[in-house]
Amino acid sequence: MKLKALIATLAATLALAGCSVDHSGDQADKPTIRIGYQSFPSGDLIVKNNKWLEEALPNYNIKWTKFDSGADVNTAFIAKELDFGALGSSPVARGLSAPLNIPYKVAFVLDVAGDNEALVARNGSGVNTIADLKGKRIGTPFASTAHYSLLAALAQNGLSAKDVQLVDLQPQAILAAWDRGDIDAAYSWLPSLDQLRKTGKDLITSRQLAKDGKPTLDLGAVRDEFADAHPDVVDIWRQQEARALNLIHDDPAAAAKAIAAEIGLSPDEVAGQLKQGVYLTPEQVASPEWLGAEGKPGNIAVNLQSASQFLADQKQIPSAAPLQTFQDAIYTKGLPGAITQ
Amino acid sequence: MSVFVDIAPDESLIDSPAAVPSGKWRGRVTRAALPLLSLVVFFGVWQLVAVSGIWNQTFVPYPSTVWRASLDVSTTHDGVRGYAGYLLWEHLYMTLRRVFAGVLIGVVLGVLLGLVMGSVSWVRSVLEPWLTFLRALPPLAYFFLLVIWLGIDEAPKITLLALAALPPAAVATTAAVVAAPVGLQEAARALGASKRQVIRDVVVPSALPETFTGIRLAVGMAYSSVVAAELFNGLPGIGGLVKDASNYNNTPVVLVGIFAIGISGLVIDGLLRAVERRAVPWRGKI
Repeated sequence: MKLKALIATLAATLALAGCSVDHSGDQADKPTIRIGYQSFPSGDLIVKNNKWLEEALPNYNIKWTKFDSGADVNTAFIAKELDFGALGSSPVARGLSAPLNIPYKVAFVLDVAGDNEALVARNGSGVNTIADLKGKRIGTPFASTAHYSLLAALAQNGLSAKDVQLVDLQPQAILAAWDRGDIDAAYSWLPSLDQLRKTGKDLITSRQLAKDGKPTLDLGAVRDEFADAHPDVVDIWRQQEARALNLIHDDPAAAAKAIAAEIGLSPDEVAGQLKQGVYLTPEQVASPEWLGAEGKPGNIAVNLQSASQFLADQKQIPSAAPLQTFQDAIYTKGLPGAITQ
Repeated sequence: MSVFVDIAPDESLIDSPAAVPSGKWRGRVTRAALPLLSLVVFFGVWQLVAVSGIWNQTFVPYPSTVWRASLDVSTTHDGVRGYAGYLLWEHLYMTLRRVFAGVLIGVVLGVLLGLVMGSVSWVRSVLEPWLTFLRALPPLAYFFLLVIWLGIDEAPKITLLALAALPPAAVATTAAVVAAPVGLQEAARALGASKRQVIRDVVVPSALPETFTGIRLAVGMAYSSVVAAELFNGLPGIGGLVKDASNYNNTPVVLVGIFAIGISGLVIDGLLRAVERRAVPWRGKI
C-alpha cells in the first residue's frame, strides 16, 4: 500500500513538473539565442512583441527572459546564461570594471534618459532649486541610473551625498513616502514620476544632465564569445533594434501599442512615456557622439568611464577602469553601415 | 539556531549517565572539536572551490577577499567610513535594535494571545484561522502595505518584525496551555485553588518551557525577515547592506552581511537557551 502511494505521488510530481507553463515553442534541433530584457519602454520590447527576431532568424530558437535590474542581467551574463541583454549604463560600467570584468560588448543604445527621469521637489517642502536640497530627505532607488543622476545633479550645485539625506526607495515606495510627506524630493522615473509631478515640480531632468555631459542610457550588450562566433546574428539583431527605433520615430502609435502589450500599460500612457524619453535614430547611434564607427569607438566610452569613476567613488568597485577598457568594449563592427542601411 | 527546538539538552542529563571521568572528558572534547572541525572543512572546501576557478569570482570569491571586505566594512579607510557611511557594528546594532523592539512587541502580544486562546476555547476558534493566515504570509507580500500605512522610517520595519514574531509565540503558548496536565489542575482545584490560582500556579508554569521554545522560534522568524524589513530605506542596517551590495553585484560584502546575520543569530539563540535553562529548570521534569 505504502509503495503504491509513493509511486502514485512520484508519478503525479513528474506529471506536474512536465506541465510547466511554457509558450516558447522551442524546437530541440535548433540552437537557442538567449535574450535578457527589462520592462523599461524601448525598442527591445517592440522587437519582442512583433517577433521580428523570430522572423529574421528562422533557424534559431529565441528565448526571451525578463529581468528586474541590471545587476541580475550582469549575474546572468557571468553565468553565461545570456547572449544578449538590456541594461543601464551604470550596471554596464560595473560589469566592465574589475573585479567583474564581464566579457561582453555594448552593441546598441536602446534609449537615453530624458524627461522620463527627473528630480522632483514636493510642493510645501520649501525647495525651489537644487541648492535648497541641503539637509533635505531625497528618495531614489539606490544603484539605479536615477541614483547616479541625482548625485551628478547635486555635484553640479556643489553638494555631495553627505549634505543631504539619501533614502533608498523603489519608485512605488517613493510615491507612498511622498504622499505621506516623509520625503522632500525624489529622483524617480515614469510612470510613477507623473504622479509626483502633480504635487511637485521638476528641479532637473536627465535630459538636462545629458546635455551637461552626464547622460544615463539603456544599452544592449552582447556576450563576447557569442559575437565572435555569430557576427551575422549580431548584425541581424542590430538591424531589428534599428528598425524598432525607426518605428518609434515614424509611427509612434504602433510602437506604443507593441510596448504597451509587453508591459501592461495603456498605449496612451506608453505614448506619453515615449515622448519624454530620448530615442536616437540609427544614424545617431552610429555617430561619434554614441557608439561611433568601426575602429573609432564613440563618446559612449567616456560616459561609461565616468560611470565607472562614480562607482569607485561610491566604493562599490576598488577603482575605475581606464578609458581603453570601455573603448575596447564597444561593438563597432561594420558601423555605421551595419545599422543605417 | 539549534536544530533541536523543543528539547534543550540539559548538560547534567547528558553527562550523568556516563559518570566515568574519562568518558566525560571525551564527550566535552568531541563537542568542542566537532564544530571547529566542520568550520575548518568548510573553509577548506570554500578555498578549494574558489581556487579551482569553476565558478566566477562573483559567485565564489576567495575567503581572503571576503575577509578583506569585512575589514573594509568594519573600519574607516581612505577617508571612507565602513559601508555607506556606517561601520559593520553600526549596521548590526541598528538591525538588532529593530529586531529587539519587534520581537518584544510580537512576543508579548503573542504570549498573551496564546494564554487567552489556550484558556478560552471560543477565542481560540475565532482567532486560530487569522493566526494561521498571518503565519502563511511571506513578509515581502505585505511589506509594501506597511510602507503605505506607516511610512519609511522605523515603524514599518518594527511592525513587520513583530508580525513575523507573533504567530510562533502565540501558537506555541496556545498548545502549551492546552496541554497543561489535567491531573495537576484537578488536584489543585480539589485542594481549594480558585480558577485564577490554577492558571497562575499550575497552567503557566507547565506551559513556560513550551512558550520559551515558541519565543526562540519567534526570534528566528523575526531574524529571517530582516532583509525583507530593510528592503526600503534599510541603511544603516545589516539587511539593507546585503540588499544594497547585491544591487552592485558586490558579492564579498553580501557574504560579510550574511555571516554577520548568521553569527549574531547563533549568539542570540545561545543566549536565549541560557536564559531558558535558568528560567525554566523544570523543563521535562513534570
